[in-house]
Amino acid sequence: MLKVQNLTKKFAGKDALKGVSFEVDRGEIYGLLGHNGAGKSTTLGIILSMVAAGSGEVFIGDISVRENPQKALRKVGSIFEAPAFYDYMSGWDNLKVLVGLSGRFDRAAAMEVVERVDLSDRIHSKVGAYSHGMRQRLALAQALLPEPEILLLDEPTDGLDPEGIKWFRDFILGLRKERGMTVLFNSHLLSEVEQMCDRVAIIRAGELVYEGAVDELRDDRPGLRLQAKPLRILGEVVSSFGGEKMNGDRWVFPEGTEISDVVRSLIERGAEVNEVTPVRRSLEDVYLEHSSLSKP
Amino acid sequence: MMFLRQLRGELKKLFARKRTYIGYVVFLIFEALLLSLWIYVGREQFEDLAKRNFIPVELLSSSLTATYWIMGFSMFLLGSIYFALVAGDIVAKETEDGNMRMVLSRPVSRLRILVLKYCAVIIYTVTFVIFVGLTGYGMALFAMGSEGGLFVWNPEMYILAVYPDRDEAFQRLFTGACFMGLSMCVVTSLGFFFSCLKIKPAAASVMALSVFFIDFVLQNIPFLANHKDVFITFRMANWIYVLQENIPWERIVESYSILMGLCVSLFILGWMVFQSRDFKT
Repeated sequence: MLKVQNLTKKFAGKDALKGVSFEVDRGEIYGLLGHNGAGKSTTLGIILSMVAAGSGEVFIGDISVRENPQKALRKVGSIFEAPAFYDYMSGWDNLKVLVGLSGRFDRAAAMEVVERVDLSDRIHSKVGAYSHGMRQRLALAQALLPEPEILLLDEPTDGLDPEGIKWFRDFILGLRKERGMTVLFNSHLLSEVEQMCDRVAIIRAGELVYEGAVDELRDDRPGLRLQAKPLRILGEVVSSFGGEKMNGDRWVFPEGTEISDVVRSLIERGAEVNEVTPVRRSLEDVYLEHSSLSKP
Repeated sequence: MMFLRQLRGELKKLFARKRTYIGYVVFLIFEALLLSLWIYVGREQFEDLAKRNFIPVELLSSSLTATYWIMGFSMFLLGSIYFALVAGDIVAKETEDGNMRMVLSRPVSRLRILVLKYCAVIIYTVTFVIFVGLTGYGMALFAMGSEGGLFVWNPEMYILAVYPDRDEAFQRLFTGACFMGLSMCVVTSLGFFFSCLKIKPAAASVMALSVFFIDFVLQNIPFLANHKDVFITFRMANWIYVLQENIPWERIVESYSILMGLCVSLFILGWMVFQSRDFKT
């Protein structure tokens, strides 16, 4: 559905994107993770033809965004972090103006979407009086009109309260279930990505440094936060059990390893054990491993 | 058809904003002030002038003459400020507020977006000038009655004309207002051009006004008197020739061709800049 091929971009001579490529299949929810300034929004900007790529190509369906942006964007609905509406106009008028740029404004379809995003009561109020959550729902309504095949979401849950985040997540998952909607989800909220996405890519300093299924990232191997002295004995014991360092004082052991055996071995060898906490290797660990700027 | 629907949306954005109406309100107040000045101070002086030129005084003290005087004085200086403000906002403000990203994410070309915005500000400009003319005339009618023709006197443009017939006078003045509206489109185009650049909306308005006033000042420097034709503001003032007894159409067509050419050039330049810009958070 969405094919991003070898995108590069420079801003003021500095590389913002260095050959980013990925593909999003129809009906898939794909997460794009990265620090602020990593290149996520630039990638989204290029997909939406708002930013000119240095090189590379984007296809939506089979249509090249570079060659035929208007035709390609007919399939796309998008939401940005802190969506900007015309505050002095009502939500309904905002929809009319924005959707009108895509073609005919279908009143019935718009009303249906408005009801769906739970804005019927306030749709004729001025947007300036909307809460952040309501603005985000209005953004969702405009993105869903008229009938996109793919949604591009740029940090859509930023600033929402937990209830709003859950509502948004359930809504997107519902859209995928009902319509087979394809979604590119740009975020740094790991829990959201973990709960929503099928696959995830991590961008670091303009490079795609990881891509894989979210399920693959979940690591069932036993992990431990382990603090013991002396470090020499700790290292030897961990190695003898085939353990690997995750980050900080966290270690992961091969499947089937009994934590009690590790602790017993440490005590038998005279180590002073200060902390033993079981941990699971989360998406956050994977993200931090790959997105850390200290890494080459 | 779709273009007209989109243009209606663009006009809705423009006219739904309260600040758009600030100009209208200020102009109404300013017109009332000018009319009062005309009635209590200016009329006497002009009556003297008319008498010295053997023109019947009743022609002078009319609502149409007052309207001409109000329009001439208010539009070029105050009008240009409002047109520069509105046109300077039209692209830059949406970019600054983030609305432009919402617009650009739609399947519509940047050229079309700019054409819609440009049409909207041009419509605003022309209708605003006609609004000022009609409200000025309305106020003058209310204060001075409907009697009398039109007396036109502009020494800088070498024009002195008298229209005793009220219908002809009204027709001339209305045509003049339309041409004045076209002239003011130059200020609007300047504001629009600067609005397409990567600058703040206020900066776009200031830049447009700077160009306009610099041109105006240069045009009025005595030793450049023989080169007035090269200045935009002089060409813009050519609307007044519609009020000359024998209308110099050739001159008017020449001036408005130059002005329209300038407007189109400013639009194209603005579009080229806008087209090459990246829009990102």
